[in-house]
Amino acid sequence: MKKTLALLLALIMMFSLTAQTAFADEPITLDVIICQYGPNTNDWFLGKGMDGSNFVEKFEAANPDIKLNLEVVSWNDVHQVVDTRIANNNAPDILNIDTFSEFVPDGLLMPVKDYCPEDLFNDFFPAFIAESVIDDTVWAVPDLASARALFYNVDLLENAGVEVPTTWAELEDACQAIIDYYNGDVYPWGVDMTTDEGQACFAYYAWGNGGGFVDADGNWALNTPENVEAVKYVISLVNNGFTNPNPATETRYDLQDMFSAGKLAMLLTTNQLPTYVSDKGGEVKMATAGIPANEGKTGSSVGVMDRVMAFKDDSAPDQAKRNEAIGKFLKFFYDPENYVGWVSMEGFLPAVNSAVEALVASDPSFGAWLDVLGTCQFYPAAKAEWATVRQGVTTVEQEALIGGDIQAGLDALQAEVAG
Amino acid sequence: MNSPLNRRWWEPYLWLLPSMLLISVFVIFPIIIVFKLSFSEISKAGVIGGYIGFQNYKDAVNLPAFKTVMLNTFWWVVSVVGSSTLLGFIIALVFNQKFKGRKIARAILVFPWATSLVIQASVWNYIIKYEYGSLNSVLLNLGVIKQAINWRSSYQIEFIWECGVGIFVTVPFVAFCVLSGLQSIDESYYEAATVDGAGFWDKLFKITLPMVRPQLTVSTVLNIIYVFNSFPIVYTMTKGAPAHKTDTMITYLYMLSFYERKKGPATALSVIGFLILCACSGLYMITVMRKEEEQ
Amino acid sequence: MNNPDVLKSNRRALILIVIGLALCLILLSMPLYSFSASVYTKKSPNTFVGDEKYQQVRAEVEAVAEDYRAKGHEAVIGEDVLERVNSKGKTTSLITFTISESFDRSPLSLIRPGFNASYVLGTMLALFALALVCAVLGSAGTLALEHHFLNKRASLLRGTAAVALLLALLLVPVFILMNNYSFSRQLGLYNAELLTEGKDALFAKMDLLLFDGAMGDQIGTALNGLTMEHSGLLWMLLPCLLVSVLAAVQLRYGSVQSSAAKAMLYFFVVIVCLVTLYPYYVMTVTAFRSNAETLDMYFLHLFPTKWIWSNLSDIIHRGVPRYLLNSLLVAGGATVLAMLCGIPAAYAMARMRFKGKKAFLGFVIMSQMFSPVVLLIGISQLMNTLHLNDSVLGLMLINAAFNQAFAVWLLRGTFVAISPEMEQAALIDGCGTFGALTRVLIPMAAPGIVTALIFVFINAWNEYTIATVLISTAANRPITVGITQFSSFNMIEWQYLFAASLVATIPVVILFMSIEKHLTSGLTSGGVKG
Repeated sequence: MKKTLALLLALIMMFSLTAQTAFADEPITLDVIICQYGPNTNDWFLGKGMDGSNFVEKFEAANPDIKLNLEVVSWNDVHQVVDTRIANNNAPDILNIDTFSEFVPDGLLMPVKDYCPEDLFNDFFPAFIAESVIDDTVWAVPDLASARALFYNVDLLENAGVEVPTTWAELEDACQAIIDYYNGDVYPWGVDMTTDEGQACFAYYAWGNGGGFVDADGNWALNTPENVEAVKYVISLVNNGFTNPNPATETRYDLQDMFSAGKLAMLLTTNQLPTYVSDKGGEVKMATAGIPANEGKTGSSVGVMDRVMAFKDDSAPDQAKRNEAIGKFLKFFYDPENYVGWVSMEGFLPAVNSAVEALVASDPSFGAWLDVLGTCQFYPAAKAEWATVRQGVTTVEQEALIGGDIQAGLDALQAEVAG
Repeated sequence: MNSPLNRRWWEPYLWLLPSMLLISVFVIFPIIIVFKLSFSEISKAGVIGGYIGFQNYKDAVNLPAFKTVMLNTFWWVVSVVGSSTLLGFIIALVFNQKFKGRKIARAILVFPWATSLVIQASVWNYIIKYEYGSLNSVLLNLGVIKQAINWRSSYQIEFIWECGVGIFVTVPFVAFCVLSGLQSIDESYYEAATVDGAGFWDKLFKITLPMVRPQLTVSTVLNIIYVFNSFPIVYTMTKGAPAHKTDTMITYLYMLSFYERKKGPATALSVIGFLILCACSGLYMITVMRKEEEQ
Repeated sequence: MNNPDVLKSNRRALILIVIGLALCLILLSMPLYSFSASVYTKKSPNTFVGDEKYQQVRAEVEAVAEDYRAKGHEAVIGEDVLERVNSKGKTTSLITFTISESFDRSPLSLIRPGFNASYVLGTMLALFALALVCAVLGSAGTLALEHHFLNKRASLLRGTAAVALLLALLLVPVFILMNNYSFSRQLGLYNAELLTEGKDALFAKMDLLLFDGAMGDQIGTALNGLTMEHSGLLWMLLPCLLVSVLAAVQLRYGSVQSSAAKAMLYFFVVIVCLVTLYPYYVMTVTAFRSNAETLDMYFLHLFPTKWIWSNLSDIIHRGVPRYLLNSLLVAGGATVLAMLCGIPAAYAMARMRFKGKKAFLGFVIMSQMFSPVVLLIGISQLMNTLHLNDSVLGLMLINAAFNQAFAVWLLRGTFVAISPEMEQAALIDGCGTFGALTRVLIPMAAPGIVTALIFVFINAWNEYTIATVLISTAANRPITVGITQFSSFNMIEWQYLFAASLVATIPVVILFMSIEKHLTSGLTSGGVKG
C-alpha cells in the first residue's frame, strides 16, 4: 500500500515537472496579460480563432526572435493577478486593462514614446491619446473603445403609442405609458447601478444635467447641485417602478438579456448590443437615439476605452531590444489585417485610423458609431483618485436606493478626493 | 499511558516533522508576509513601501462601512455555522440509519461539497434570478405560483439567500464529519442503554453526542474559519451591493484592495480578522478540549 | 385466533375507508372552480372619451358585443379609462374595453381528453376503485384475524389498497396545481403566441368546457382574460383521503405507528435528496440548452426543447480535458502528500506524550485562519523564490499544506477514539511503532481516514483563488480556473459554464462512491475507548 502510494506520488511529481514551462534560451520573452472581452478572446489569442491559427503563433512566426508568454485573464480576476505580480516585482511586460493612473505614481510604466513606433503613434485618434496623459506624458495607448447610447425596442414603444424620449420629463411620461399599456409586464427603462458599472450610471445622468465628475478646470466637482439632482432623478425612476427591479445587482448584461428577450423597452448601453443580441440568439427590432438629458441641457454620449501599456523592467539585459520587441508587438497587433478582426469580433470600435476604412466597409453602421465616438465624453481615468471616485459614486447611488442621503454622500466623497 | 517505555524524547517530534515543515513553509511564511505588509505603506498599484506603524489599522477602523461589515460578518458566521452544524448533525443521524437506498442517498449528499463554491454561487445566482431564474420557472410550471416572484427584492433578503447558499454547501461537510464519528460507535452501547431503559433523548445526549464530540469540534472550529473566510458566495451573488450592506469582511477587504485600491487598510483588516478568529476558535478549543480531557 | 377487538377495529377501518372515499367523490362533484372570462379586451392608447378615435373603437366594441348577444351570451361592456397628466401638462389617456362572463364548474366536469390534469384525476378515481375493491376482497372472511396471521393473498390485497390510497393522496396536490397551471399559465402562454403547438385542440376543448362550444372562432379572445379560482374546499380532499390511508394502513399492519416512523424517515431522506439535487437539475438542463434558451424569460421550458449535445464537444475543444487532468494531478498529489504528512503527526498527537502538544495543535489550526485571498502576495513571492510559479507541483504543495489542519485534526480524533490495546498487542508481538501504525491502526481507522482523504481531495479540487494568480499558462490551469473562460465579465455562457461544472463534479462523486464502502464499514469489533 505504502509503496504504491509512494510510486504514485513520484509519478505525479514527474508529470507536474514536465508540465512546468521550461525557461528556454530565446533571445527575448514578453509577458503579456490580456483581458477577456468575451467568449472569443481566448480563442483568438491562444486557440484557433484567428483563421484556424492564433495571435501568438502568428506573431512568433513573424518575429522568430521574440517569444510571447501571453495570458488571457477574466475581468473578474485581472486586478488581483496584476497587483500580486506588481507586489512581487514581477509585473508583466505588456498589459491590457481599463485604467492606468494607479501605476503612474509608482513609476511602473514606461512612457509610450519609449517603445511605440512613430507611425503607429500617429495613427491613434488624438482625442483618445489625450485621455491617457498625465503630466504631459502619454502612458498608455487605447486598444479599443465603445460608445454608449439609448437603445430601444421599436415594437414595444410603437404598440404603447410612445415617442422616443429626449428629455427627462418625456422619459418619465414614456415609462408611465409603457407601464400602463403592458400592466408592468415590460420594464420601461434599464438601470445598472452595480458595483462594476455605477460610475456609468452616474455619468449618464450627471452629464445630461450639466454636471459631471470634474469642473471646467479638471478639478473634482462631485457634490454640485446638478449631480445631486441627477442622482435623485435616477433614484426616482427606480422608486416609481419604471426600471428593472434590482438595479444594484442586475448588471448591464442582465439588462441586455432582458432587452433581447423583449422584456425591457429601453436601455443605455454600448454599441455592442446588436452583436450581443444576435450572439444570444435574440430577435429584437431595435433602434438608437441620444441619451435623454434634463430640460434645457444637452446630453452627451458616453465613451469608454480600454488601454495597452508597457511596464518597466530594470532587470532586462538589453532595454533597447526590449523596447523594440514591445514596439513590434504593438505594430503586429494594430496591423489592420489583425486588428480589424479583433475589434469586430466582439463588436467594439477601433482606436486607430488605419482600421476605419476596412471596418466601415465590413459594416456600414460603424460609420455612424464612429461619428458618435467623436462627440463622446470619457471618464477622467487619468486622475489619480479615479478608482476612489468610481467606487464612491457607486456607493452613493446604492445607498440612495435604500434611502441614503445623496448630498451628504457626495459631500463626503468630494472631501475625500479633493480635500 | 500507552507508549512503549523505551521511546526517545525526540521521537514524537520526528513524527510531527513532515507536517510541521509543510505548514511552516507554505502557510506560515505567507502569513508572516501579511503581518509585515500590514505595517507597511502600500501604494494603489500594490508597490510595498516602508514601515508606517499602526496607520493602516487606524484607517481600517475608521472606514465608514467598518461597523456594517463587522456586523454582517458576525451574522454570516453565526447563522451559517450554527444552522449547518444543527442540520448536518440531524442529517447524519438519519443517514446513519439502515434504509433502502442509503448508499445512493449518501452519494447525493456529497454533491454540494464536490462542486466548487464559485460554481455553487453561480448556479444559485441563476436559480433566483427574477426574470429567468429556475426557481420561478419550476414553481410556475408546477402551478404553485401564478406570477414570477422577485426573490431578491431587498438586501436583507439577498443576505438571507447568501446565508442559505452558505448553509447548503456547508451541511455535507458537517454531516460527513459526524457520520465518520457515528460509525465508530459500537452498537453494544445502545443495546446496553436500551436494557437500562434509556429513551431516544437519553441515548442522544449520553452516548451519541459525547462519542462524536471530537468530530463535531473539528468541524465546528474549521467551519468557523472557513465560513468567516468564505469569499465566492457573496462576491458572485451581490458583490456586497448595495453599499456594502451584504458584504462580509473578506469580500469587503477584496473590494477595498482591488476596487477602491486602499491596499493598506485592506491588509490591516485581514490581520484584524485573523485576531478575531484566533480569539474565537481559541476560546472554543480551550473549553471543548477541557471537557474532552475531563471525560 | 378470532379476536373480537380486531374484528371491531377492522370493521371500523373499512367503514372509514369508504367514508373517506365518499367524501372525496362528493367534493369532486361540487362546483369548486369558478371561471371568469373577459371574452373581449381592447386597449387603446392616446384616446380620450368622446374623441374620434374613441368613437371608432367604441363602435368596434359595440359590434363585437352585438355579436356575442346574438349567440345568446350576456355581454356587458366594461370601460376603464386611465388618464394622466404628463410632464408638459398634457393629459394622456389609455382606454381599456372589456366584455366579461363567469361560470362555475365541478372538478369532475374537467375530465376531458386533452387536459393534462384530467388524466391525473382519472388515475385518482381509478385508484379509489382499486383500493375499495382490494380492501373489501382482502377483508372478506378474514376481518377478525390479527394482521400477522393473514394469508398471503389477503395481506397482498390489503397492502395494495393502502398503497393505492397513498398514491391517490399524493396525486391530490398534483391535480390542483396542474389545473392552476393549465388554466392560468398555459392559456396565457398560448394567447401570447409563446406556445403554438396543439393550440387549436386545446382551445376547442376550452370552448366546449366553458361555452358549450358556442364561441367558435372567437374563443382565442375569449380565453385571453380567463381567470380561474379554485375554492379552498378543494384542499379538503387531503384530510379526507388521509383518513382512508390511515385506515388502510391499520387494516394491513394492525397499527399505524411503526409504519409512520419509517415513512417519516423516507420522507426526510427524500426531501434532503431533492433539495440537494435541485441545483444539479438546473445545471444539467441548462448545460444542454441552446444559448438563447438559457435565458427563458417566459419560463416556458423545464427541460430543453432540444438537447444540444454539441455543447459537450464545444467545451472539450475549449480545453476542458486538459484542465481536468491538471486538477486531477493537483488534487491527487495534494491528497497523497497531505496524508503522508498528516497521519504520522496525528498518530503522535493521539498516542504519544510530549511537551508542546497543545501548541502544535494551535499552530496547525492557526495556519487556517487567513483566507487565501489575503495570503496571495506571500504565496506568490514564495513560489517565485522556489521557481514553482506557474506549475502544477506548486499548487499541489500549497493545497497539501492548506489541508494539513483538517487532516491532522480529524485523524487525531479518530485515533483517539480507537483503543490502543490492539496496537500494544502488536508491539508486544514484535512490530515496531511503524508496523503497529500501518498494520493495526490504519485499517481500524479507515472511516476517519477516508473522510479526511475525501475532504482534502475535494478542497484541493475546488481551490480557485491561488490557482488564478499562480498559474499563467493556459495548459497548466486546473478546471476551476479554466471554467472562468465561460463566464467572462461581458457574457456568461451559461450552457458551457454548467456543462463544464457538471463534468468537474463527476470525478469527485465517482471517487466518493468508490470508497464509500470504507465510510460505512466502520469498526467491526469492540475496539472503542470508553
